[in-house]
Amino acid sequence: MAESLLEIVGLGKRFGGLHVTNNVSFELNQHEIIGLIGPNGAGKTTLLRLIMGILKPSSGSIRFKGKNINGLKTWDIVNLGIACTFQNMRPFRRLPIIANVMVSCMCPRAMKRGEWVKRIEAKAMDALEFAGISDMALEKASTLSQGDLKRLEIARAIGTEPELLLLDEPFGGLSPLETDLMAKSIKRLHKGGRFGRLHSEGPSMIIVEHKLQQLMKIADRIVALSFGTLIADGKPDEVVRNPQVIEAYFGEGGI
Amino acid sequence: MIQEIVINGLINGSIYALLAIGFSLIFGVARVVNIAHTALYMAASYFIYLGFDYLGMSSLLAALISILLTVALGLVCYQLFIKPIREHESAVLIATIALAMVIQEIFLLAFGGNYLGVPPLATGYFMLAGVKIANQHLLVLGAAFLALIGTWFLLMKTRIGLGIRCTAQDREVANLMGINVNREIMAALGISVGMAAVAGAIVAPLSVIDPHMWLHPLTMMLAIVVLGGLGSIKGSFISSYILGFTEAVVVFALPMGAFLKGPIALSIMILVLLIRPEGLFGVSFEEER
Repeated sequence: MAESLLEIVGLGKRFGGLHVTNNVSFELNQHEIIGLIGPNGAGKTTLLRLIMGILKPSSGSIRFKGKNINGLKTWDIVNLGIACTFQNMRPFRRLPIIANVMVSCMCPRAMKRGEWVKRIEAKAMDALEFAGISDMALEKASTLSQGDLKRLEIARAIGTEPELLLLDEPFGGLSPLETDLMAKSIKRLHKGGRFGRLHSEGPSMIIVEHKLQQLMKIADRIVALSFGTLIADGKPDEVVRNPQVIEAYFGEGGI
Repeated sequence: MIQEIVINGLINGSIYALLAIGFSLIFGVARVVNIAHTALYMAASYFIYLGFDYLGMSSLLAALISILLTVALGLVCYQLFIKPIREHESAVLIATIALAMVIQEIFLLAFGGNYLGVPPLATGYFMLAGVKIANQHLLVLGAAFLALIGTWFLLMKTRIGLGIRCTAQDREVANLMGINVNREIMAALGISVGMAAVAGAIVAPLSVIDPHMWLHPLTMMLAIVVLGGLGSIKGSFISSYILGFTEAVVVFALPMGAFLKGPIALSIMILVLLIRPEGLFGVSFEEER
């Protein structure tokens, strides 16, 4: 059994009387990819925001590499080695694409002491090359298409050289061809290694996604949520056959 | 008259640019409308007077120390009075007004309402194409341009600058890139107050120092940032020179013009708000998200 990288124990988040996340517990092992599924409003994005420290949990704990990260500031969590991408892309629109990635390459975790701006720029370029949008490096981020924005999000996230990557709907809004390319990029990233000056640890991943077919191809395990509660955790083919999961997606009786 | 308008327009514009860019910067990064910005500019002038007149320092040393002291004062005020309420924009606005009044009253108590002055660093003048230019004016222009170029370099070409610009655009995403947003805000505030202090230091020998000297630059600065677009640094820079020259023309070309410079700046501000509320270079609110 590999050592677990992330442990979530009894995690809960309440907004007033509404339990958005309710007593969720699961573990993520080193080098594992978990697919996080569930119908709309199941609390998947909330769970990612809790891990990143954007929201503070109402109960339970989150441990990363054995360290409790509850209550830490988001930038501290990023510097411990967790990065995430947004479902609704939020680039720094008025900055060139390369500058968007340089920002993440600049975080203390990814920076070697005394690195100069030129070196950071080269590293950011490598991240863009990995993501496949290096030819547009000098254009403003506001000019990118939906698919390229997703790629920019990936480039920014790997700029911090994370050990755990949280991807929120990486295939959302992409055409079938783009989805295939993105899945390939994710797999390549997961293998790890050096991409030019950029080092990939071969990060573990939690991927929130509705395109189950694609997700099943890359995930080692699937965790399913419904109304904030964990309803299944196991191998992809087991979870999609789980009656509770089918009921959550299609209503009682399934189809 | 023309040469006076040109020289004064340039000097006014540069001093307003130092003030307005600093004001825009801290608004952009921390969403703090810092009404006390020009009170800190006044503090820098008083610190020079204190160093020069009371402690017998040379003008240059007094200017350098006053800039450092003003930045320290700005950072301490931020930590004590603004940071605890930073998320409540209207409370911050009221707190900065109160802070400005407190700074004014402290100087009034300490030095009285008298007009004070410090001697110029450079004396004499030289002739350029038949126009008499005071050396002190040239020095002021040089210092202002250096400060503006230094700020541009810091913001556009360094890591700190990139962090500040990202924090200004989206604080939450900057967080997610591993940027310590609080540190970026402190850096931006340091730069912002530093620019106000430089303005205060170079203006001290040109005019009189009194506890109400912060009010006119405040009016001008607000008119400038409205004209340029709140939060837009490029807009603040260009508008500073537009209003700086407008002020010079009003003062030198109109009879009793010195009394009209404030009302004219405010009229421009009202007109801009009516015709183009986002200013010359501002991002309209719908576009922002």
